[in-house]
Amino acid sequence: MWLQLSINGICLGAVYALIAVGFAIVFSVLKFSNFAHGGMISACAFMGYFFQASFKKAPPIWVTILFTAFCGVLFALFLDQIAYRSIRRNKSPNIYYFLASLTISIIITSILNVFFSKNPLAYPPLFETTTFSIGALKISKMDTMILIISAALLAALLLLINKTKIGLAIRAVAISPETSKLMGINSSMILIMIFSIAGFLSGVSGVLLGCKYGVYPDLGQTMMVKGFIASVIGGLGSLGGAIAAAFLLGLLEMFWTYVFGSLSTPVMTFVVMLLFLFIRPQGISGKFAKEKV
Amino acid sequence: MNNYQLGLIMNSCISVIGVVGVFIITSLAGMFSLGQAAFMTISAYFTFILAKTLGLPILLTAVMGIAASALCAYIIAVPTLKLRKDYFALITMGFGEMMSSIVIMLEKYTNGSIGYSRIPKVKPVFWIIIGLTAFVIFFAWSLKRSRFGRMCIALKTDETAAKSFGVDVYRLKIRIFVIGSCISALAGILYGLKNRVITPDGFSWNLSAEMQIFLFFGGTNSLTGAAIAGFMLKLIPETLRTVKLFGVSLQEFRTVIYCILILLVINFRPNGMLGEKEFSIRTLAGLFRRKEARNGK
Repeated sequence: MWLQLSINGICLGAVYALIAVGFAIVFSVLKFSNFAHGGMISACAFMGYFFQASFKKAPPIWVTILFTAFCGVLFALFLDQIAYRSIRRNKSPNIYYFLASLTISIIITSILNVFFSKNPLAYPPLFETTTFSIGALKISKMDTMILIISAALLAALLLLINKTKIGLAIRAVAISPETSKLMGINSSMILIMIFSIAGFLSGVSGVLLGCKYGVYPDLGQTMMVKGFIASVIGGLGSLGGAIAAAFLLGLLEMFWTYVFGSLSTPVMTFVVMLLFLFIRPQGISGKFAKEKV
Repeated sequence: MNNYQLGLIMNSCISVIGVVGVFIITSLAGMFSLGQAAFMTISAYFTFILAKTLGLPILLTAVMGIAASALCAYIIAVPTLKLRKDYFALITMGFGEMMSSIVIMLEKYTNGSIGYSRIPKVKPVFWIIIGLTAFVIFFAWSLKRSRFGRMCIALKTDETAAKSFGVDVYRLKIRIFVIGSCISALAGILYGLKNRVITPDGFSWNLSAEMQIFLFFGGTNSLTGAAIAGFMLKLIPETLRTVKLFGVSLQEFRTVIYCILILLVINFRPNGMLGEKEFSIRTLAGLFRRKEARNGK
């Protein structure tokens, strides 16, 4: 039983990790919490759904994912234009970033709510049988697919950040945009890059979440809170920490739900987060994002 | 005025109280709280459930409800406010989510998502709400002008500079957050008194966000602007209930319109509609005098 729960927990953690990373990467560079990520996930889930529904014979899932990820990138850049650009230009205080991302999240959710709140939609089932079994273990095929995709994406992302020149530039801009500009890094290009990555991730996670939980306007919102909690536990702005915390959170949630039921799970996650801040405010990663003078 | 219009005015006044609570936290101290609806939940449920089960007078339980909110605010503030501001926004948001699930979890007492409706009737509810609104606005106004308020504004403008001038930033932040949460708690109780039913959905995350949006629309640094925005933005969509767009009542597009307004404000008028301006006799007199001077020429 415990093994089964662990496997389910890891699969859940993979979902959270995908969200937490999309959120953490924007934080690491721009130093604000991108609430818009939840709205983007919802929007992408709907885009993927309508893309798939527009064909007579549903295309393979990877086509949908790629298409939605591409849409997510465009969408993220568009949002950057209408909301964040003037904040950067005016050098407004950080609180305006909060406000702008919050506004975007709400506007997307409420537009979707006006038109689609009546009937929840669902992707057509991907597999004929939903589970396969190894010995006594029953593993959902859906979860396995999500786990594989998200592990591959996370690995690719970590490689990109840690091993390539672009990654080096991103890390430099994260430390100091002004200095890296002096060193010949095109900071605004890097910002566009960051938003594209976040958009890509939200596209992929939108489709995957839509497959797993069904498509409804508040989808992104509910899942985003988990992503936030994971990235707070992991240490804001640290990708590795966010991934580790997401898996931890997934496991913890699975076990808690098994023992105490699902109603009290949100309370548990919140209390865990608060305790974590008490004991280890720098998060799992230990890199404490301090505000500099 | 008929009952419907009175109800609209009461709703708008409650919204003003909520916005003033957010004003104190966000505009005076520069903290971005997304969980004010949670404090409304705590105080409202606490007040009405205690009033019903213990049979205490509502005035007493209201004080207890507000105290409970203040205690929760304190518990959250202690670990969070030591860290950078972003944590504060995330934690308050998580707190809001937790509160609504606690309400559903304690179904035995709160009646879950159906809503708690055993709320005693209080007689001149209209005048209570109007009076408390006036009181809250006066309170915030004098707070802003007091030594305490000036310390907060110093803290908001530059935390490090304020620290170097001997302001105890951490304790000041805790205090301001508790005060703001008490005012939000008051709004929650009045909401219950007016609507006679409280549901976890009514105090959702959207409500917290809505209050922030009103505040920023009116002007982050202007109490007058915030109060006017809180009143008008709540009132206008209700009066436009019958107007239709894409076959959907404008009322449903309310949030979308708020958001578009905010995007416009961010892009073109970053300080909100009123900016730093405050209403006072002196500014009115100043306006008048300037006009006269112009006419004199």
